[in-house]
Amino acid sequence: MIENSKRLNTSYINIGVIPMSKILNTEDVMQEHEVKRYFEIWRESVLRSRLTFTAVFLKLVHPTQESAIRNQMTTFLQLKIRKTDLLFQLADGKHWGIFFLQSSDVEAKAFLKRIFAILKEEKEFNHIALKASITEIRNNNVNFETLITKNKQRLVDNELSTWAIVQVEDYREQPNEQVQVSIIEQNPIFRKVLESTLNQLDIPHFTLAVTAYEDGYSFLQSDTYKTGHMHLIVMNDILPRKNGLEILHILRNMPNEKKFIIFMMSERNSEIAALNAYEGGVDEYIVKPFNLRLLEAKIKRTFARFWL
Amino acid sequence: MIVLSISFLLTIIAILLLILFFFTMYLVYQRQRESQLKTRRDIYLHNYSQIWYDYLFHDEPFSIVLVPRGKAQVEAIEIIFSSYLKNLMNENVKKVIKEFSNLYLKKFYEQDLLSKRWSIRMNALYRIADLQIDELLDTCQQFEKTRISEEEFFQLLKIYSLFQPDLFMDKLKDQNAHYSESEYRRLFVLLEDDVFIRFFDDFDNWPLNIRFAVIDTAAVKRNMQYIDKLKHLLSSDISEIKVRALKGLYEIGVIDEIDSYVPFVTSDMWEARLMVAKIFKHAPITYTYAYLEQLLQDENWWVRSQAAKTIAEDRQGLEKLQDFIESSNDPYAIERAQEITARKQENK
Repeated sequence: MIENSKRLNTSYINIGVIPMSKILNTEDVMQEHEVKRYFEIWRESVLRSRLTFTAVFLKLVHPTQESAIRNQMTTFLQLKIRKTDLLFQLADGKHWGIFFLQSSDVEAKAFLKRIFAILKEEKEFNHIALKASITEIRNNNVNFETLITKNKQRLVDNELSTWAIVQVEDYREQPNEQVQVSIIEQNPIFRKVLESTLNQLDIPHFTLAVTAYEDGYSFLQSDTYKTGHMHLIVMNDILPRKNGLEILHILRNMPNEKKFIIFMMSERNSEIAALNAYEGGVDEYIVKPFNLRLLEAKIKRTFARFWL
Repeated sequence: MIVLSISFLLTIIAILLLILFFFTMYLVYQRQRESQLKTRRDIYLHNYSQIWYDYLFHDEPFSIVLVPRGKAQVEAIEIIFSSYLKNLMNENVKKVIKEFSNLYLKKFYEQDLLSKRWSIRMNALYRIADLQIDELLDTCQQFEKTRISEEEFFQLLKIYSLFQPDLFMDKLKDQNAHYSESEYRRLFVLLEDDVFIRFFDDFDNWPLNIRFAVIDTAAVKRNMQYIDKLKHLLSSDISEIKVRALKGLYEIGVIDEIDSYVPFVTSDMWEARLMVAKIFKHAPITYTYAYLEQLLQDENWWVRSQAAKTIAEDRQGLEKLQDFIESSNDPYAIERAQEITARKQENK
C-alpha cells in the first residue's frame, strides 16, 4: 500500500488534459484485495469516532477491453480525488471504487457531478461515458464483499442511462447511541423542569438517559460518570457539598474527559465568571434566567456536530 | 437582713412557674402553627407543582385547585413562581404569573402591608415587585404616607421604577432618604433603557452619588446608545466623573474613534491615563501605538504595565515591544515591557 501510495503521489491539479507521461497503468492503482483491510478499519471507526464515509463505484457504460482507455480513466480519477480519498480497481477490471473518508453522500455526489461535467466537456474523453453508484456508510453492518456485490448489481442494470448516479441506501441508518445525562441543580422545582425538558428532548440517533441530583456530592457518589457512555452534564456553578467548579475540575482531569459535554448554568452574568468557566473546560456557559428553548437548541446543535 | 416568709417565696415561685408555663405553651403553639404551615405548604408543592408546570409551559387549562387558600399555599406559590422567574426567561410564563398574582395574590399582600411587623411588610414589598403586581401601585402610594423605614422606601422606589417610571423619577428628586451608590445601581439596572437615558438629560442636577451610579450602570448595561452620553461626560469639570466615564466606555468596548481619548494620554490623573491605556485595547494598534508607547514610559507603574499589556495583546504586539526594548533608554519602561513579553511568551 505504502509503495502504491508513493507511486500514486500525483499532485492535486484540476486539469482536463492528461499528459501521456502521467498516464498510469492498471497495476499502479490499488486493487480490490488490497483495500479490504483498510475498509474494515474505517468501518469500525464509523461507530467509534462517528466518521461517516462514502463509497463510490464507477463503471464504463460501454465496457472495453482496451487497456489504454482504462488507464486513461484511472489516471483521470487519481488526479481528481483528494489526498484523503482512496481509489482502487475492482478485480473484474470493469469498475473503479473510491472511498471518501469523513464525507457524506452529498460530497460524493458533488464530486461525481464535477468529474462528469469535465468528461462531457473535454474532447479527449468523448469516447468515455460512465455511470456511478454511491453508498453512504453510517454503521458497521456491512462487509466488503456485500458492498461490492450490491453496487455491481445496481450498475449492471442496462436501463440506467449514461451519466446516471444511483444510490445504495442500505447502510446509511445511523445506530442509536445511549447518552448519559446528569442534571445537578439544588432547586427542586427547577430541577424537575430541567428533567422533564431533557426527557422530552428528541435528538435523532441519540437516546438520553436522564438522572437528576440535588448536589455535587450525590452526583460524584453515583458513579454514573465513570461509565464509558457519552455524558451530558447540565449543572449549576454553585451547589451544596461539592460545587460545580469542583466537579468540572474532577471531570476534566479524568483520562476520558472528552466524553463529557458540560453545560454550566450560573446567575453570574459577568465576563470574568464566563471566562473562568470556559478556561476550566465547560462547553457552554448559560446565564440564568435563560430560555429553555435556547438550552434545547444548544444541546441539539452539540449533538448534531457529532455526525456529518 | 431582709426577712421573707416562706409563703411569700412560694407565691413568687408559683407566679414564675405560671409565667414559664404560659411562655412554654406559647412556644409550643407557635411551633405547632409553623410546622402545620410548613406541612400545608409542602403538600401544596407536592400536589400542584406538576400542574403548575403543565399550565405554565404546556398550555394546559387553568385549574381552580391552583388558587391559594390561606397563607401556607401562598408561600408554596411564591416558591414555585420564584423558582421559575429566577431560572427561566419566558415572556409568556412571566405574563401568566403577573396575571395570576394580580388576581389571586393581591389581597394577601395588601393585608401584609398593614402588618405591624416590618419583616412581613418588607416581604410583601419584595413580592409585589418580583411578581409584578401593578394593581397594588395605589396601595403602595398610600403605604408610603405611613411611617415607613428607609429600606421600605427603597423597595417602594423599586416598585415605582417598574410600574411607573415617571413617578420613580419624581420620587428620586424629592426624596429625603439617602442611599449608597450601590443601592442606586441596584435600582437603575432595573430601568428600561428609554427611562434610564433620561438621567443624562439633566445629569448635572442630580446628587453626585446618583451621577456616579448612572455612569456605572450605563457601563453594566453595555448599550451602544450610552457611548455618546458617556463621551459627553469626558468634558466634565469633576475628575471622578471623567475617570468613571472612561471606565464605562472601556466596559462597553466599542471605540469608533480615538480623538476623544487622546487628550487623556497626557492627563494629570494617572487613573485617566490608565483607563486610556485600557480603552486602546479596543482600537487597532496602528492608530494607537504612538500613544501607547508614550504611556509605556509613564511615571506611574500601573499605567506602564497596562500600556505594555495592551500592546502585547495585539498580533504584532510582541514584536513592537521587542523593538521598543531595543530602542528605548527608559529603564522602567523597558522593565515592564520585558516582564509582559516574558509572561505572554510563557502563556503561549
